[in-house]
Amino acid sequence: MSFLFQERSLRILFIVSVILMAVNLYAIFFIAPMVPEQHWAQKIFYVHVPIAWSSFLSFFIVMVSGILFFIKKDSYWDRVGLAAAEIGTLFVALVLITGPIWATPIWGKPWIWEPRLTTTLILFLIYIGYFMLRKFGGHPERVARYAAVLGILAFLDVPLIFYSVKFWAPQYQLHPQVEMNQQPDEILLPFFFSMFTFTILYILMLRFRVKISNFQYKLKTKNV
Amino acid sequence: MFITLLKKELFVELRNKEVILSMLAFGLTVLLIFSFSLSGNPKINHEIAPGLFWSLVVLSSSLGLHRLFGQEKDFDAFANLLSAPIDRGTLFLAKWISGFLFLFLIEILVVLPFFLFLGLSQPMSYFPGIGIVMLGNLGIVAVGVIVSGMAMRAKMSAVLLPVLLFPLITPLLIACVKATTGWYHLIPFSTWQFWVLIMATYVVIFGLAGYVFFEHITEE
Repeated sequence: MSFLFQERSLRILFIVSVILMAVNLYAIFFIAPMVPEQHWAQKIFYVHVPIAWSSFLSFFIVMVSGILFFIKKDSYWDRVGLAAAEIGTLFVALVLITGPIWATPIWGKPWIWEPRLTTTLILFLIYIGYFMLRKFGGHPERVARYAAVLGILAFLDVPLIFYSVKFWAPQYQLHPQVEMNQQPDEILLPFFFSMFTFTILYILMLRFRVKISNFQYKLKTKNV
Repeated sequence: MFITLLKKELFVELRNKEVILSMLAFGLTVLLIFSFSLSGNPKINHEIAPGLFWSLVVLSSSLGLHRLFGQEKDFDAFANLLSAPIDRGTLFLAKWISGFLFLFLIEILVVLPFFLFLGLSQPMSYFPGIGIVMLGNLGIVAVGVIVSGMAMRAKMSAVLLPVLLFPLITPLLIACVKATTGWYHLIPFSTWQFWVLIMATYVVIFGLAGYVFFEHITEE
């Protein structure tokens, strides 16, 4: 465990993340105003949207890692891709849990085929396949190539999924994010602070996971 | 080289009929299940026919796509094929077009029982429907060849293929169903041309992706 904190930059990032998260929670519960028609349910929005943003950022990193893996032919980028895929999938799972928690009191039902929600679900399913491929794909070098291709294809698919779902069920265009521009500063500031906090948390998690992967790789290849 | 490879794919398939027979038998069985599990009301069937048709196509294609590399795998012939001085992109194109032809053939064979069993009325015009089906097939098979190439040497390849294929083709499937609904229910083209555009975009993106990445997929 201590090897995770050997690097000074990681130690600083960890401390900054803990402080930011504590301030973030305080801001969500005590500074951000209560929205009359949504009451406590609206508070989940300060967690749900930043997690969703981090998950999409993560899948973008999977794609970039895949491209760099093919260009540089370095297994490091495969490990970055795997780390980003794991954290992205975890965050997507959290989006799929927090979304219905908010939707049940607001929309009156936990699930509707809304484009962002549906895109998230489909991405989650693609990444379930991604991990199955990682697990059962065969030789590790081959699996690394497959995973890189799948990571790129999955991200290319995102705009197509989004627009096809958007026009497939236009009656479900209820997502509150479209109204963000009209929100007052008291809501916007804690919201952007939460976005920033979760991005920092994501970077910390990614760096920890890559460090563990690098260590495992060294153990395997060099018998450290 | 592409023509030679395509001929090889078609010749091998016509000799053992593995892909075609597996897709046809499975397609007819699924159709039977659809017929029994639905209400039997032709009016309802007419409404949901496009969705049923594409469900049938996707389910059947997953079985056929699984066997697309079957011969090479069973006889350990893929390494020989790769050792030949052939561009991997051309190999992808041959697999793509042959898979497309097999799927199209199955659709021709299944479409009559589909209309018959579900008590559906004949469409007013055939050509737009054929165009939609061909475009949909190209998209499904493009992704199918990529995924099948990945799953070919994996453990649990039969499970892995649909798990990877179905979520990836979701936007295409939505577009196929919407475009087929527009054509079959005689909705003006201007209201569903967007879906044809989505299908065409999908075919171009995944066709190009397959052409570019097939080298990395087939590398030993």
